Amino acid sequence: MTEMSSGAERLTGTLDVAIERLERARPFAKQRHQRPVLDVVSRLMPLPGGPEAILSRAVRMDRAGLFGGSDWDVPTALLPQLTVQTLESDDRVLAALEMASLMRFLAVATGTAQHSTLQQEYAQHFLTQVLALNLPRFFNFSDEASRAAGERAALVARLLRFIAERVGLRDVLGVMVAEIWRILEQRPVQVGPVKDMITQIAVALNQQGSEPGAERLGAERLISALFGPTVETLDDPGLDLYRERLGHMDDAGLSREAMGFARSMHDTGLVSDYHVAFLLWALDYPDRPLVPEAMGLGSTGLDCWRHYRGLIEELIRAGVTPATPQALYGLAMLMERGILHHTPIAPALKRALRLELRPAVRERIDLGFGTQASAETHLLAGALEVIGQPLGVGQGANPTCQSARAISMWALNDPDFLLHLMVQAAEAETVLMHFEGQPINSAELPAGLAGFGPIDADPLSVLLVPHLDRIYAEMGRLCAPRGGDPHRWINPEFHGWWVARDCAVAVDVSTGFLDEYDRFVRRFHESYHPGYNGDRPLIHPQPAGIAFTDSTGTFIGWHAITILRVASGRAGETRVYFYNPNNDSGQDWGQGVSVTTSGNGERHGEGSLEFEQFLSRLYLFHDQPLRPTGHAPVPAEAVERVRQMAADSWAGNRVPSTRAADPAEAPSA
Amino acid sequence: MNDYDPNKGYVALLGWSLNAIDAVDRFDRRYIVVAPPWAEDYCSQNGIPFMPWDFDRLNERSHELAHRLKDEGVDVAIPLFEETVEWAGAVNSVLLNNPRLLGQSMLFRDKSLMKRRAQLGGIRVGVFEEAHDRGDVIRFLKRVNQTLLKLDGDPNDPIHFKAFDKSGTAGHRVIRTPEDVDNIPDDEFPALLESHLDGWEFAVEAWIKDRKIQFLNISEYVTLGYSVFVPATPELEAHRARITEEIEKLIEAFDIDFGFIHPEYFLTSDNRLYFGEVAYRPPGFKALELIERAYGFNGYQGLVLMFDPNTTQDEIDAFFPEAVTGAKGHAGCFGVYPRRRVVSRLEVPEETANHPYFEFHELAEPMEQKVTKRTAFGTHWGLAYFFGEDPHKLRDLLKAQEELDFYV
Repeated sequence: MTEMSSGAERLTGTLDVAIERLERARPFAKQRHQRPVLDVVSRLMPLPGGPEAILSRAVRMDRAGLFGGSDWDVPTALLPQLTVQTLESDDRVLAALEMASLMRFLAVATGTAQHSTLQQEYAQHFLTQVLALNLPRFFNFSDEASRAAGERAALVARLLRFIAERVGLRDVLGVMVAEIWRILEQRPVQVGPVKDMITQIAVALNQQGSEPGAERLGAERLISALFGPTVETLDDPGLDLYRERLGHMDDAGLSREAMGFARSMHDTGLVSDYHVAFLLWALDYPDRPLVPEAMGLGSTGLDCWRHYRGLIEELIRAGVTPATPQALYGLAMLMERGILHHTPIAPALKRALRLELRPAVRERIDLGFGTQASAETHLLAGALEVIGQPLGVGQGANPTCQSARAISMWALNDPDFLLHLMVQAAEAETVLMHFEGQPINSAELPAGLAGFGPIDADPLSVLLVPHLDRIYAEMGRLCAPRGGDPHRWINPEFHGWWVARDCAVAVDVSTGFLDEYDRFVRRFHESYHPGYNGDRPLIHPQPAGIAFTDSTGTFIGWHAITILRVASGRAGETRVYFYNPNNDSGQDWGQGVSVTTSGNGERHGEGSLEFEQFLSRLYLFHDQPLRPTGHAPVPAEAVERVRQMAADSWAGNRVPSTRAADPAEAPSA
Repeated sequence: MNDYDPNKGYVALLGWSLNAIDAVDRFDRRYIVVAPPWAEDYCSQNGIPFMPWDFDRLNERSHELAHRLKDEGVDVAIPLFEETVEWAGAVNSVLLNNPRLLGQSMLFRDKSLMKRRAQLGGIRVGVFEEAHDRGDVIRFLKRVNQTLLKLDGDPNDPIHFKAFDKSGTAGHRVIRTPEDVDNIPDDEFPALLESHLDGWEFAVEAWIKDRKIQFLNISEYVTLGYSVFVPATPELEAHRARITEEIEKLIEAFDIDFGFIHPEYFLTSDNRLYFGEVAYRPPGFKALELIERAYGFNGYQGLVLMFDPNTTQDEIDAFFPEAVTGAKGHAGCFGVYPRRRVVSRLEVPEETANHPYFEFHELAEPMEQKVTKRTAFGTHWGLAYFFGEDPHKLRDLLKAQEELDFYV
């Protein structure tokens, strides 16, 4: 129990006065007396002993009617995701309301109080979720960080810690560990946030002492992937001591280390700093091919290693450093893709090793990634990661889904073109593209959607997106007079010849209403569904547009994705596998349309939906102008199902009122 | 509503006040709320006994209301607002079979009649006059200042302008210059004009039964329109005996058998008490709440005791504490006005927030960024409440609030 300050003691007395007034008031008169209680709560909370005082009165405040007339009156209807937003609200009264509510959950969760509509187990579960969702917030409690984040953030952190100390972190760890695995399953290029979370878990476990259980095991697997994946690193000895140990090991021991690293890396997609140290050390170890072992290469990768050993060693020395550990995984995956055997790739990579950066480019990369490694190293590492994990590209917190999607598509389908763009942008500070024969030079264009571009994405995106964004905007400008959806013309010109030249749009751009939607639905079946297109696979990734909806099915905005393949899921159902550039594909789009990222046959980085569910959110796709038709008719029921799902979500107010226009439905004269 | 005592009276509350309803609902008397029809839904949803009534300016229908209440079995009507004082007088003259009550209530409603009646009762009042237009105001301003031997160009002594039928600080203006006169809107006439008295202004809340003061509270104004606290400082309480005499004069002059009055006084530097005005209804500015905080009894419930013909003296003696000594401390409040022309958010000043006497506030975030210019005494944006042991410390603290920004 924290010692109570005299200020807290006095305010506690005031709080009691305010609560008594609230208690006394008849239900219809409660509202006026809520505000004073909340005012005192917000002032008492930051004081030593304040949270305890509030906790001990929390259920009493609830009974007195503090939450009457607000959403908080029904605790089981509250959403843990929204909690911290309210806590950090500019409205202090609202923030205090959330604090009082959390304290009520805490009192019930710890069994110190009973509540008429809130069960102990429910309260525990709710708080667990709140903590898991906000672990980064409350472990950032170096005072420096708190100060920078402001007083209110510090207060929220203290409150969350106060709760954590009382409900324990075991369940919280479970929730977080599951979340981290879910993200890692998608193999993002950007692993910074995940690494931070794992570090915080490590700190938490260290501080909390051990609470055994399955959660702890899952957490330790993640921690060891970063801090001790092998026998000799298990005790996290530090890099210097580890290198010294390597000098004393025999071949069998070294081989075991190499395999340990490889297993952990391919298990999680994370590369430990020790792994980098080992690989760089192994480059100069003459007796045994430890490098391919440490990279965990399969037969394709090994074949590349044998053919291009010199280039690969050069790429490792230039790109894999303590500041760029993930380049090791990127390179391994690049080799595993076998694309080194594609004629232009090896020379293009060699060209990438000889970059001469413009000063402004160097400045920009330094700004985004620091100077621990050179800008050349960061760019090369970025290229290896993006080409090794094309579906791991994310747009960061930027409105540049189009550019991120293009980078991912090129990495997947046209990696030498991507490297070509990288050289242009790095050395000439421009990207030159053509739109229907007309050259577009990004250096001559004004800044696009993202201003001067993101710096919270991977290095290659940081370099390219500002250019791509401008070119994309310029192409849009050139299409503006044509009417209709400009993507029809932009997408093939921007991405490559392999984007199908025909295009179907579900919405009439001028009216915003659905336009021949049934036809749209049929056409997507005929073009993409193996059951209706003569079992023809999708060959090249195709850009597509979705009407993005939230978990209630409410329309949020248009979003760019890539359709990768249409195939059978585990249960034999037809699924669309696609890439979403928004960093995390696993999303609930409402009304049962929930994108999965694993468990339904997805490859790393793919999201998937059952065919009709996907189609119900689709508003634009590309279609081959010359394709055979008439394989199998699309059943009317399928069309109706899709139409209904669309109408229930994003298209509800986009259905044109055609009923009166339909002569069959018109009233007879 | 809780069980009520069938041997006690049945009261009607005239006017809509949630605080009053809440207090009376918790008391042991049967009650009914008489308020405009818009309150009907709210009352039926919350189980509040209700009778719809439009209190417009003309009360020729007061007889109808009185008879409806009589049929309902109501014993007495209690006015909650200035606008319902006449209605209560008219209704009670029927319910209590006492025609004098209507005339009495008219005196309370007309500030000029009220002042003359007080003067006739031997109560000292300042110089006053009625004004029907702006010319009257200018004339009064000039005459008062001539009397004070001011020369042309000397700054004028202010006069006070009070719309006849408005309560509290609404419609109360301080006039110093002809420009101030120009700013008076037409609908505030007719009005009462008063000379300014330099002195200590305070208010009294008196609960009266059987022509006897049952409880007398002195509310000390720190600054009119800004702040008030109860009980008053010992310096002001030292005059309690004289003040009690003055209230007894009012009881005689206005022939008050029962009820609640809320007069205002000035204590001038030459130690004379001047009567300002009196209202026959609960005061604004949450004064009853301050009294409850300090003394622990609910003022509205006290009102019901005073009005109910079936109340016994024993009941009254048990209800009210000893004045001054019966208080747990001093409670005050401060009405916050934004001081800046443009404000963006509410921020309680640190000096205030950290002061041990500060309790809580009812201030809301600003709805508009631009602050409209105050007319008359204006309406504050909310109240901040204080409570403490030392009345001088509390007084100085309330005064200090005037120099602080709550909205920045």
